[in-house]
Amino acid sequence: MEMIAALRADAAAVLADGRAKMVIGYRALGDRRKPVFITDGKMAELLVYGAECRQNLAAYLRKGELKRFRPLAIVARPAVIRSLVVLAAETQIKPADVVVLAVGDSEYHGVLDLAGATALLKEKYPKLMPPEETLKLLEKLSAMTPEERAEFWKAEFAKCTRCYACRAACPGCYCTQCIVEKNVPQWVSAAADQHGNYAWQVIRAFHQAGRCTLCGACEAACPQGIPLMALNVRISQDVAEEFGAQPGEDPAAKPVIGSWSADDEEDFIR
Amino acid sequence: MTQIAATTTEATKPFEPRVVAFVCNWCTYAGADLAGTSRMQYAPNVRIVKLPCTGRIDPLFVVKAFEGGADAVLVSGCHPGDCHYTSGNYHARRRWTIFRKLLDLTGIDPRRLHFSWVSAAEGAKFAHLINDVTAKVRALGPFEPHNPARRRPWR
Repeated sequence: MEMIAALRADAAAVLADGRAKMVIGYRALGDRRKPVFITDGKMAELLVYGAECRQNLAAYLRKGELKRFRPLAIVARPAVIRSLVVLAAETQIKPADVVVLAVGDSEYHGVLDLAGATALLKEKYPKLMPPEETLKLLEKLSAMTPEERAEFWKAEFAKCTRCYACRAACPGCYCTQCIVEKNVPQWVSAAADQHGNYAWQVIRAFHQAGRCTLCGACEAACPQGIPLMALNVRISQDVAEEFGAQPGEDPAAKPVIGSWSADDEEDFIR
Repeated sequence: MTQIAATTTEATKPFEPRVVAFVCNWCTYAGADLAGTSRMQYAPNVRIVKLPCTGRIDPLFVVKAFEGGADAVLVSGCHPGDCHYTSGNYHARRRWTIFRKLLDLTGIDPRRLHFSWVSAAEGAKFAHLINDVTAKVRALGPFEPHNPARRRPWR
């Protein structure tokens, strides 16, 4: 509880002394946790935080509507801080436009700038944190034959209604025109049918390769309960194993896909 | 009579694999051309799609090929260091490293996705490669019943 009190006090303080013009955080609406946009210090009493706050608020940073409220203060857990670092590395945000109200699972780390938050990651949260249930699912999937995996994902992707909530929830999905909306020629069918759903899910996951911070916001946003994190976690494991990269560590890092090394492994190419 | 004709044509038609090959203009396509001009025989199951560079091969192309009913996909370009555009094949190699494992996870058998480097001088390697891929996919059988990316007919 003192953690929440300190968070509210800091939110009011950054608004009062002009370090930020708006605080983006979470509020409680019954059992649900909703984003809240605070410009008045008195409203800071609304702020809450807990493990159930799974939305990644970094997705709001590039919104045009919030441009005039920069610098923005944002309630950020480690995965969200990573997203901020990725956005800075991809020159989508200016580090000076962000103030981080850094929260952990049960502790509060205070008001930090992006450099301070990056140092905090290095010190206290040096590794990506894939969810336990996703690791279990991946273990189950790796024991299957390719045919069984195909049937598993066919059933999962068949649930997809193509609402694109996963895309809206993801801070990495910031293209102004997404590949699924390109229709001359149409690369990905927009119908919620087998082939379009497969292409969409696979390409969405792949476009986050080396950028996904495993925040879990896409899976939390999916109204159909598709285990999207299995795709993301698998890619992040491969990126770490093959290229020794972990997204969100260094604001000056080159993107993993988009850079190369002559020493990359190629045992699968003949 | 018509029923018998239908069953015989359907049942006795042997499985012929459909292989889609995405190749680069400068090396593998020239290699394929060399195989042709040298009158080398290779399996007619391959459909070649020529692109400027392997760096131009979007992972979506591979998904699209499986969507359209390919039994296997081959991606081929210049050897490392030989890229006409200096680094296109290095970029492509990074993408495939990650993407092929993603396809494996989502149910596309890695034995249906092949990668190779074939230079403009390696006509024999190209002919051998196509024969080898075709034989392997023929042994695997049609991808149709399990292909998770397959376009389904309108109902």
